Amino acid sequence: MEREPWRQWQQFASLWAAASSESPGRFGRDGGVGFAPLMDAVERFTAAARTFLDNCAGGSSHEAEAVRVFSDFLRERFADFQMPWGAFGVGAGAARGAPPPSVGDLPAFGASREQQQRWQRLASAAQRIDDAQRRLQRLWSDMLRDAAAAFAARLMSPPPGPVSSEALQALYAGWIDCAEDAYARMAHGEAFCNALAEFVNASSQWRLELQASTGHMAKLLDLPTRSEINTLLQRLKSIEDRLHAAPEPTAPTRPSRKRSARSKTKP
Amino acid sequence: MTTADLYAALAAASHCVAGCSQKETVWESGKLKLYRYRPIARPAGGAPLLIVYALVNRPYMMDLQEDRSLIRGLLAQGVDVYLIDWGYPDGADRFTTLADYIDNYLAACVQQILHAHQLQALNLLGVCQGGVLSLCFAALHPQRVRNLITMVTPVDFHTPADLLSKWAAKIDITAWVNDGNVSGDALNQLFLSLMPFRLTQQKYVDLLSGSADRARVENFMRVEQWIFDSPDQAGAAFREFVTWLYQENRLARNQLEIAGRKIDLRELQLPILNLIGMRDHLVPPDASGALRRLVGSSDYTALEFDLGHIGMYISARAQREVPPAIAQWLASR
Repeated sequence: MEREPWRQWQQFASLWAAASSESPGRFGRDGGVGFAPLMDAVERFTAAARTFLDNCAGGSSHEAEAVRVFSDFLRERFADFQMPWGAFGVGAGAARGAPPPSVGDLPAFGASREQQQRWQRLASAAQRIDDAQRRLQRLWSDMLRDAAAAFAARLMSPPPGPVSSEALQALYAGWIDCAEDAYARMAHGEAFCNALAEFVNASSQWRLELQASTGHMAKLLDLPTRSEINTLLQRLKSIEDRLHAAPEPTAPTRPSRKRSARSKTKP
Repeated sequence: MTTADLYAALAAASHCVAGCSQKETVWESGKLKLYRYRPIARPAGGAPLLIVYALVNRPYMMDLQEDRSLIRGLLAQGVDVYLIDWGYPDGADRFTTLADYIDNYLAACVQQILHAHQLQALNLLGVCQGGVLSLCFAALHPQRVRNLITMVTPVDFHTPADLLSKWAAKIDITAWVNDGNVSGDALNQLFLSLMPFRLTQQKYVDLLSGSADRARVENFMRVEQWIFDSPDQAGAAFREFVTWLYQENRLARNQLEIAGRKIDLRELQLPILNLIGMRDHLVPPDASGALRRLVGSSDYTALEFDLGHIGMYISARAQREVPPAIAQWLASR
């Protein structure tokens, strides 16, 4: 097994480690700000790469297992990556704020029928969000497996030549290339697009129902609801539109000197 | 570069303000401002150029810093440059439509400039989504536009490489918008998600791996500020844009109607210059290049650059090539 890639990673990591140890206290790695997470990621990556290469060195029979372990690492490392499904207002765990599932089983009747139905719809939307989230995570996980396998294959044929900072960066860029390629294949796929749409649509439904509940509470407290404010805004816009569409008013005719003089005399 | 060096450089650069060219506000209405840039070279003559930027992100990307400014490049070529700043929509703007932006705000800006210069028509440069607005305006008011330039502008929203279009296809936009505005931060995250590993990881690793050169760090900070300075989107206009364009591809199908009037690109007879980024991940080259087969103009020029979406505004190559190309094209017309 060629050891060059590991040596490259080792030197790459030492650059980061040096940078880390020279950080002033307030920018320390535990500060949770700035580049600390990135440095942590590189160090973890390095450790995993070392294990991978050591395992590969054990012979071709160990190679498949090494790839699996390395792939598992990458999948785990990026499993919680922030993805677009956090961008639509409702992220993972929407179901945690939902009413208990038992509410969904009860038939709605009586004076609180509307509220109960709303809670049932809320629970249903939260469940849909949860399901869509799981589908997205599964696709994400599969994508990471493919990316890791492609990168592992790349590691087995390192570029020749002396180690340089450019070469080290190129190695890191290699992982990024593999990950982006795999991600693009997934993101363009129908399964991902469907799961994303379901996630967004369920999130919209969930927010709608929550808004309706809030509106109900606002009415009880005689507070203005979103719906009332929207109505006012629409009326205002309608007036603005009519003003915009109206022809420019013609300039008033200049009053005659005589008339003007006469008006001046009025008390 | 050590982390300490980097943080010191970033802290020193944190005061950096984007924008380098001198300008004055020549008209404003509500949140909208119309700027005119002060000349820095002998006027080249010809009609003024109005830059129509996208509603997403802020227009100061056009004038980020001295060596990365499309506007400065144009001023150096003697072009008389105007720019629309749409402002930051808030809850009161939730019912603002595309028709409002195109046939009201943009039309009013054009009218102001034409009136000030005693002209019948001006030159329009539409950037990204602003290019769509400009195409619509030119179709609605052909007599007011002398030449049209589109830059990284999507026209055919259903090309195979268009990831945003695929994502939007089955999303219930009406429910998502729900009579409200759309969060700029959410859109930002969406754009980052088009290439998540590069845009949220590699970019920062590259910064740390490079030198602590002050100019480089300041440039990074300005771009970073711009990327995350994302106005919320007026809900109605956003819903129309996504539904009509991303989902139904009405512009390319000549089925788009703005303010009750049809936008037929085949009727565009004016000279058109289309600037395309061949490595654009937001607006695929095919989505921009489709303009050639859709417009009626016989004076159509497409210039392709081996650049990405943002590189078209601020890369060194763009600085060298894009402003002169625009100025020469305008001068010859």
